[in-house]
Amino acid sequence: MSLYLARKTFLYLVTFVVAVSVDWAIPRLMPGDPINGLIARLQADPTAAEQLHGYFTESFGLDQPLWRQYLDFWRGLAQGDLGPSIAYVGSSVNDLLLNAVPYTLALLVPAILLSYIAGNRVGALAARRKALDNSVLPLAYVLTATPYMWLALVLAYVVGFRWGVLPVSGAYDFSLQPAWTWEFARSFATHWFLPFLSLFLVSFGGWAIGMRNLIIYELEADYANYLQALGAPNGLVRRYAYRNAVLPQMSGLALALGAVVGGALVTEVVFGYPGVGSLILTAVQNRDYFLLQGAFLFIIIGVLIANFVVDLLYMVVDPRTRVGAGRA
Amino acid sequence: MVARKRTQRGLGAGALVVLALCVVVASTAVGAGARTDGPSALPRSQTLYVSGKQWGPYTDFNPFRQGDYATGVLGLVYETLFRYDPLKDRFIPWLATNGRWSGSTYVVTLRNLVTWSDGRPLTAADVKFSFETGKLPGSEFATMWQTGLQRVTTSGNRVSFHFRGTPNYQQWDTFRYTMPIVPRHIWASYSAQAITTGNNDDMSKLIGTGPFKYGGGKGGSQTLQWNRRDGWWANRALGKRMPMRYIVDIHNTSNTASLQNFLQSKIDLSNNFFPGIDKMIKGNVKTYYSRAPYMLAANAAWLVPNTTKKPLDDRNFRRALAFSINVGRIVRDDYGNIVSKASPTGLLPTWRKWIDTTAVRQLGYAYNVDRAKQILQQNGYRDRDGDGFVENKDGSKLDLRLIVPNGWSDWMTAIQMIADSTKAAGIKITPAYPDFNALVEERNSGKFELVINNEVQLSNGPYVYYDYLFRLPIREQQTTRNFQRYANQQAWRLTTQLNKTPSTNVARHKQLNSQLQRIMLRDLPAIPLWYNGMWAQYNTTHWTNFASASGSGLQNTPSTWNGYLNMTGIDALAKLRPR
Repeated sequence: MSLYLARKTFLYLVTFVVAVSVDWAIPRLMPGDPINGLIARLQADPTAAEQLHGYFTESFGLDQPLWRQYLDFWRGLAQGDLGPSIAYVGSSVNDLLLNAVPYTLALLVPAILLSYIAGNRVGALAARRKALDNSVLPLAYVLTATPYMWLALVLAYVVGFRWGVLPVSGAYDFSLQPAWTWEFARSFATHWFLPFLSLFLVSFGGWAIGMRNLIIYELEADYANYLQALGAPNGLVRRYAYRNAVLPQMSGLALALGAVVGGALVTEVVFGYPGVGSLILTAVQNRDYFLLQGAFLFIIIGVLIANFVVDLLYMVVDPRTRVGAGRA
Repeated sequence: MVARKRTQRGLGAGALVVLALCVVVASTAVGAGARTDGPSALPRSQTLYVSGKQWGPYTDFNPFRQGDYATGVLGLVYETLFRYDPLKDRFIPWLATNGRWSGSTYVVTLRNLVTWSDGRPLTAADVKFSFETGKLPGSEFATMWQTGLQRVTTSGNRVSFHFRGTPNYQQWDTFRYTMPIVPRHIWASYSAQAITTGNNDDMSKLIGTGPFKYGGGKGGSQTLQWNRRDGWWANRALGKRMPMRYIVDIHNTSNTASLQNFLQSKIDLSNNFFPGIDKMIKGNVKTYYSRAPYMLAANAAWLVPNTTKKPLDDRNFRRALAFSINVGRIVRDDYGNIVSKASPTGLLPTWRKWIDTTAVRQLGYAYNVDRAKQILQQNGYRDRDGDGFVENKDGSKLDLRLIVPNGWSDWMTAIQMIADSTKAAGIKITPAYPDFNALVEERNSGKFELVINNEVQLSNGPYVYYDYLFRLPIREQQTTRNFQRYANQQAWRLTTQLNKTPSTNVARHKQLNSQLQRIMLRDLPAIPLWYNGMWAQYNTTHWTNFASASGSGLQNTPSTWNGYLNMTGIDALAKLRPR
């Protein structure tokens, strides 16, 4: 068991190092010099611009050879310092992320967990209720095939703009600043709902379809037929089927995380939600190496941790893994 | 039955976990940008909502970083010695009551009884300190010290700026209304780096002479709130009073989102670019002009040819190009008439008095396909292979790549229209849309062929445009001027002379302007296309009396963009009335 855990941890570490190195390299492969872009935005007089170019290049450490930049990056990372932002000169990437991450988590975590729970439940019900199978399932197929951004736009247009029921941009009303008040909480919740819903619906469709098919498959398996032949009550059979069907869904959750995170980022952009997605957009537009690295690092760490948790949970729910791990 | 119960319990537990997470997340979110005072929602009748300047979080509160500081830092908090009114072409004494030249020394008299928001008086030492920050490495104001300013001295409430040789009067005029004055007793403790490129976002140190102080929103917040402060010097000295208790700036996420908020009356003054706004100007939605072009002009969009590349190095070819572009169609179909066609000189409408109309009549151009064809023919650009497009003089294929930044949708459409209209004259242009930084790289290093640019904004005179077109020497990287790499010593000499001519010498100004315009019109180092607007849309549901072409005293610059409040933007805000 501990050997299994050690092996898993080692694998995750290797994945982390590789992913972070790729994360470091990719922004630097983009064409264009970030400092030139920065100076172009500042629109400084040429006399000042020349001096500024040298000044910024040096202060961002971009005058160093690449290998040194890479080492500095790891050194900074070890100290929890993600470096300075180029797009928002004077701000640290740490501060920018700290402001944005709560919003992204507020969308992602409930969307992932609730869509998983609700999708599985509805899928399982649909497998044994014809009416539900004929009504909800087609809808689930449409939902799961919908791109996150498109659904977000449709919701924003219909619910927000046409009906005017819910706000479509920002995380709270413009007349408020974050505070511990009911007024703010209410405003936060109404602004949160549509982006959450668009993430929830797309994921929900996928889980419902998956669960429905798995339950049908499980109910036709030998053990289910055997139980039924023994005269076991239907509820018991379904319970066994559900437990078995949950296993592939759980590995599916680990696999789907990346896509949901990607979906959350574009959804944030559509709804002007001040999370990591909006930061990534700015970072890409401004060749902000450090901010891009930092934002992707958040995603990398998040996805790896979530996968690790799923791995651990898998050991709890599937006794075969435990036995296998014990032997390994 | 058992199974269902279990699942339900599972669902309940899941929901609890989610709820707990939400609380944790919300508590972290609340920490950022919390407001400094008590009441929660701001009273609508006392709050002005503006938008259009800020893209991204409010992190920069340093007024010396001109292109970047958060909305209102200069204008609402920090102020300048003078302001400049581009519509009346006059300087407005502000923190200074007057300024005059005495030989090559500029002497400023400071206004009495101006206090900082911490109660300390504004002194000559503050002004000296502020101007001397231009000497620090990394300063955006380095130019003034590198091109003549030698030292600053003070005596009582007078500040003298001593120049070496003939001062650069035009540039100095710009500094007079753009240089922020900061309190020395606070800023002296900042490092050089903090002064030139720091965010200086310790809000207890955001001490200005202006009408507002910080109210909340720093960092990740989506709005920035300014609270009116008591004791603004202009209340007593000029009888000026800001009518709103709060100004809230809403940061842009997209023009579409801003448009929705604007139409729902959540934004009172929007400085966003709204395509199609011309169809919405009725009822509560108003603009500076009630008819096309609706907005004041803020800058000219130029077609910049790389004059180091064939055939763009040939002024006759550039001339044919100028005749072949149907700008009228861009103005009408792309912009819905919210912009207007540029004068062939490119000079903004506010600089009309400097335009040499005779030169324009003699050397100007307008869309005329036949004329374009004729010029091409006369100069050896012929269609030899019968594909409908002319070839280079040596017979090689000619296909010019015209670039604009990806995502700038109005420009993307415009260059398609340009390519379409030059086709009729036989000039092949292929539009391309690299992203902004890639475009900057291509443009600055001189690898591009054609690019659209509107870098230089409305300011105190056309000098900036000549500087933009003719600046020499040409370097490996052309960062902000002369992207076309056009080398004309005579034009640059005249530009320098204009810089060294005081605005009071009108006759000499006219003469130099005329000479420079003749060179521009003859050589076409860049081709002016249309005037981009000072985008400003008003929703008058909650506030009225916005800046307007008609109405007494309302001719102000209705913009919260950086650099506009210290023109007459502050007057535009002061004139507003709640409904």
